[in-house]
Amino acid sequence: MLHRRSATFAAASLAVSGLLVLAACGGSVGDKSGSGGKTSTTITVGTTDKVISFDPAGAYDQGSWTIIQNLYQHLMAVAPGESKATPEAAQSCAYTAPTTYTCTMRPGLTFSNGDPLDAAAVAFTFNRIAKINDPKGPSSLVLNIKKATAQGNKVTLTLGTPDQTIPLLLAGGEGALVDPKVFPANKVLDSAKVIGSGPYKLDKYDVGTQVVLSKNPKYKGDDKINNDKVIVSYKQKASDLKLSLENADVDVAYRTLTPTDLKSLASESSKGVKVVYGPGAEIRYIDFDTTLQPGKQKAARQAAAYLIDRQKIATDVYDGQVQPLYSIVPQGLFGATQPFKDEYGTTPDLTKAKAALKAAHISTPVNMTLWWNPDHYGELSSDEYAAIEKQLETGGLFKVTRRSVDWNTYDEDSKKHAYPVYELGWFPDYPDADDYLTPFFPKGGFANTGYDNPALDKLIDQQRGEQDQTKRLALLTQAQQIVAQDVPLIPVWQGKQNAGVRSNITGVQNTFDASFNFRFWLVGKTK
Amino acid sequence: MVWILLTLVFLLLRVAPGDPITAALGGQLPPAELARRRHAGGYDRPIIVQYGDYLKQVLSGNLGKTQQGESVTHVVLVNGSATLELSIFALLFALAVGVPIGLRCGRRRDGAFDTFGRLFGIVTYAAPVFFLGLLFQLLFTKRLGWLPPSGQVSATLQAEISDGPHLLFFEALFKGDTNALSDVVKHLIMPAVTLGLLVTGVVIRLVRVNVIQTLKGDYVEAARARGIPERRVVMRHAFHNALVPIITVMGLQAALLLSGSVLTEETFNWPGIGNRLIQYLQNRDYLAVQGIISVFAIVVVVISLLIDIANAILDPRVRY
Repeated sequence: MLHRRSATFAAASLAVSGLLVLAACGGSVGDKSGSGGKTSTTITVGTTDKVISFDPAGAYDQGSWTIIQNLYQHLMAVAPGESKATPEAAQSCAYTAPTTYTCTMRPGLTFSNGDPLDAAAVAFTFNRIAKINDPKGPSSLVLNIKKATAQGNKVTLTLGTPDQTIPLLLAGGEGALVDPKVFPANKVLDSAKVIGSGPYKLDKYDVGTQVVLSKNPKYKGDDKINNDKVIVSYKQKASDLKLSLENADVDVAYRTLTPTDLKSLASESSKGVKVVYGPGAEIRYIDFDTTLQPGKQKAARQAAAYLIDRQKIATDVYDGQVQPLYSIVPQGLFGATQPFKDEYGTTPDLTKAKAALKAAHISTPVNMTLWWNPDHYGELSSDEYAAIEKQLETGGLFKVTRRSVDWNTYDEDSKKHAYPVYELGWFPDYPDADDYLTPFFPKGGFANTGYDNPALDKLIDQQRGEQDQTKRLALLTQAQQIVAQDVPLIPVWQGKQNAGVRSNITGVQNTFDASFNFRFWLVGKTK
Repeated sequence: MVWILLTLVFLLLRVAPGDPITAALGGQLPPAELARRRHAGGYDRPIIVQYGDYLKQVLSGNLGKTQQGESVTHVVLVNGSATLELSIFALLFALAVGVPIGLRCGRRRDGAFDTFGRLFGIVTYAAPVFFLGLLFQLLFTKRLGWLPPSGQVSATLQAEISDGPHLLFFEALFKGDTNALSDVVKHLIMPAVTLGLLVTGVVIRLVRVNVIQTLKGDYVEAARARGIPERRVVMRHAFHNALVPIITVMGLQAALLLSGSVLTEETFNWPGIGNRLIQYLQNRDYLAVQGIISVFAIVVVVISLLIDIANAILDPRVRY
């Protein structure tokens, strides 16, 4: 008995001692001292975004770009609320030839470690993206930049084909400028070691948990920074994000609160929270695989377009937090029109739908398998596609079978012509109408739908290279019209950007625009 | 056993739809570009080639890097320490609640409390961990506002913690930092109770059964016959002997704790290894998933071995 008790006691003591030693050997809670009495403004932003890399050559996702756009400067930038790019790290930029874009650098810019941000750094940045060609990086966005060369304080980008979207591309995550003395030329840098010249510097990165940014003392840009520190806290679920906001664990909840959460938060002003909205450029649409029935037949696609009631979906499913979309190009971008409204109206038209099918000798009901995805496009996709099914079955014109599958399977199989009609969405890479045309249509686009219209492809190529904005507008209008007439897809809604904020937080809605840049420096906190 | 598990996990990951490139960039790039990137990442190589590379790495002690460039060993150490902290307090809770209930149930067999105790044990064992967690969040965070909904510490305190493995409760205690300790404890309560309840049911049933059996023993009858008060008979003579087999079985509940910790950590956004495992699964981060599962398997094997050794020390009837 004594032996057993002693052994038990010894084992327990050993375990506790071991834990205390382990605790002592690890780092320590509250190691860093406070700021010595000076009041500093810290903003905590909660998000469910995932992060891949803070090295611009290794990232092509929204979560990474949100941080990148705050850490680095760019040759060009989109000012809040604007849709055009203007010089940032460059003093001026212009096309010196149809395929040559030259920028003169602003003098005196440095990275946060004091290294110069000059023309050589810019050339290094773009050549590096192409050389590394990281599987998860943005190399496909800068494919048209064949070479970047520096001479004195000028940097010249040589393009493969004329491209008027270059200024906006330079303002995106792929255009973030890096230090040649820190970033390796042939591989992606560890995210915890990145430095930039932007408004913030990276203090700490706990993968999957938190990013800590503080004001960059060497920042020489024009943006006024309304806080001293930003902590980005990563959550797994929207429900946790909402609770954290209500509990004041975070000041801002951005990406992605569900419409149900937003509605609930909007009614909680007494708890010190509110919801702010701004224009967005995220879209959702129904895609047809034109190699499969019923998408093979234009009349069937047109009949479906006559039956979709976008306003009802926006109101009943999304509580007005999205707006009906009548073109593949969302409203707010240069050149956006509403041809689907002109062609198919704003309310369902059963008579015209029937007429379209009858004229093409298509017997009804038309069988349609409609695919949607439960995990990539938000929890309300189920309700949305239930509503769409009901709308399509109005008048017995279509017989719809809804199916769903996880994202990885969905994405792979949809491109292998396994789904005749399916849900898709799009976030812009850059705030220009071209980003809603070039990836979608030439030779079936990224979705491999089988749709190919040489006249449309030609218009898309022409508008991309057209310098005259009036001519470009005409080309964009024609392109959108063709899409409405051929209906290879049916645009359904355009999302608004939103965030939940504590009532003492200011400036969040000022950052909402088509560029999708969340500019931390605009966010302030009142007492 | 570990090798079999590694191989199974490797194969299951490769067979499941998707890959790291599609998980990250699917829906943005055309099939040709996705295929090019898969090729650049080596994900289209023959499975046997990928398996060979993986085994070589593991045998050299290198668990590889995650897609974000982090060493899997680092992930295991840093996030494993968070899981360890959660598991310790979950186990302590389970013992603190389960042992007294089990003891009373055993003493008052077939009585009202015994019925309650058994039902409680079944319900807590059967209830899904994430469901309990959500209920707690609804009550203690949303309704009462007493406890934070998630995380290991508040965001501002997290920002001050240096890189590396941490047992935050013990560190705060060791430093005498009452603010940090209070913050850590508030964040620890709900996840520890949620995970602890999963094991409590096991503890209650184990203690109850062992107390009932021990109380039937001859030496207990002899003690009663000598006029020793019942309370002393139970606490002094029967209880300690009833606890010995429980120590053994509780060690074997390490696997239950690890599996329960995955969902608990996800519900409470606890930065443990279980939470990271879910993220890596969603991202099809093969190396990270394989590395973490390997560690889980090794931990369970090591704990089982330690329990066998402890059993031999504590119970002289057991000798190898």
